[in-house]
Amino acid sequence: MTRTTLGFLFTVEWATYVGGALFMELIWRPLQRYVPPAQTGALCNAMGRRYRWVALGCLGLIAATAVGWSLAVPSTLGSGSAAAVGGPGPPGAIGGWRSVVLLVVWLVLVTLVILMGMLVHPASHARVSPGQDSTELSRRRLRSIRLMDVLLRVELGVALVGALVAAWPHTSGPGPAM
Amino acid sequence: MTATWIKVLASYLHLLAVAVYLGGSVAMEFVLGPAQRFVPPAQAQVLGQKSADRFLVLVWAALALFPVSGMLLFFSLSDQHLVTHGGMFSTSYGLTLAAMMALWAVLVVNGVLITFVFRPRLASKVAARGGAGAGAVAGRIEAMQKAATWVSRLTRIDLAIALVVVLLGASLAYGNGIL
Repeated sequence: MTRTTLGFLFTVEWATYVGGALFMELIWRPLQRYVPPAQTGALCNAMGRRYRWVALGCLGLIAATAVGWSLAVPSTLGSGSAAAVGGPGPPGAIGGWRSVVLLVVWLVLVTLVILMGMLVHPASHARVSPGQDSTELSRRRLRSIRLMDVLLRVELGVALVGALVAAWPHTSGPGPAM
Repeated sequence: MTATWIKVLASYLHLLAVAVYLGGSVAMEFVLGPAQRFVPPAQAQVLGQKSADRFLVLVWAALALFPVSGMLLFFSLSDQHLVTHGGMFSTSYGLTLAAMMALWAVLVVNGVLITFVFRPRLASKVAARGGAGAGAVAGRIEAMQKAATWVSRLTRIDLAIALVVVLLGASLAYGNGIL
């Protein structure tokens, strides 16, 4: 039952994260054609603020579930074994190369979400303050929007790689539900 | 080696279908939905319509992918022996699998209702046509509001069902079923 619960949580968390990133790319980006620029800005601002917390929440829960798994089913997290790095590891165990790749993917995603949520996204909605050059500010805003586009695609790519690694056949580690 | 890659592909496609369905619904309901407050109502309606049109394509793709990738996964894992000789309704594995299929069918029925019954009602024009009076317009607005309530209700029901399906799936992936 513990394995089922943890596997369920792991799948839901990954699915919510990856699905959110796919939604932004496949639904929200093309949708912007139908919205006037000023309203696109207002929507981006509101959605970005909410999405940041959904994404960070999912990544936090993924980490908590992984820690929970290592405590509840310690034998499957053989990170100290020789097979942990480079080799395929024991058949189906989350320990081994899968856990290393997933950890790297998780760290990259957390960095990207924090970078986008705390720096790039707010910069793309910056307002002119008294005495500030508005031309320079709009140039900076455009730069931030372009950077945001690139980072969102990188985030989606990394998340898809993470999902592929999580989907690797297993018998005892967290991975996708059937 | 080939079998491993089929398992990886099936498993990946299955996870992607779950991600599109579950993650997309969460983003639609809890990210885009509340953000629509920040634009004028007419614009919010256009936005809601266009986003729902696009999202429904993804939803149907995911619903189609579930059985295809699920069957591929089922056969690549050589689990057939668990449901043959009456095992489908006498073992925990078989019952769990049957429940997943039944819930998938419910999701399809709800998808049909949303796509072909309630969405067309929402997309209809409100303006009076051919001398229709204020009463007819008010009736149409009421029908649209009812349709919107039903779409929202069914979307949340679908989200809850999808979570149960994932739980059932997890019980098959990490054990022998939950029922």
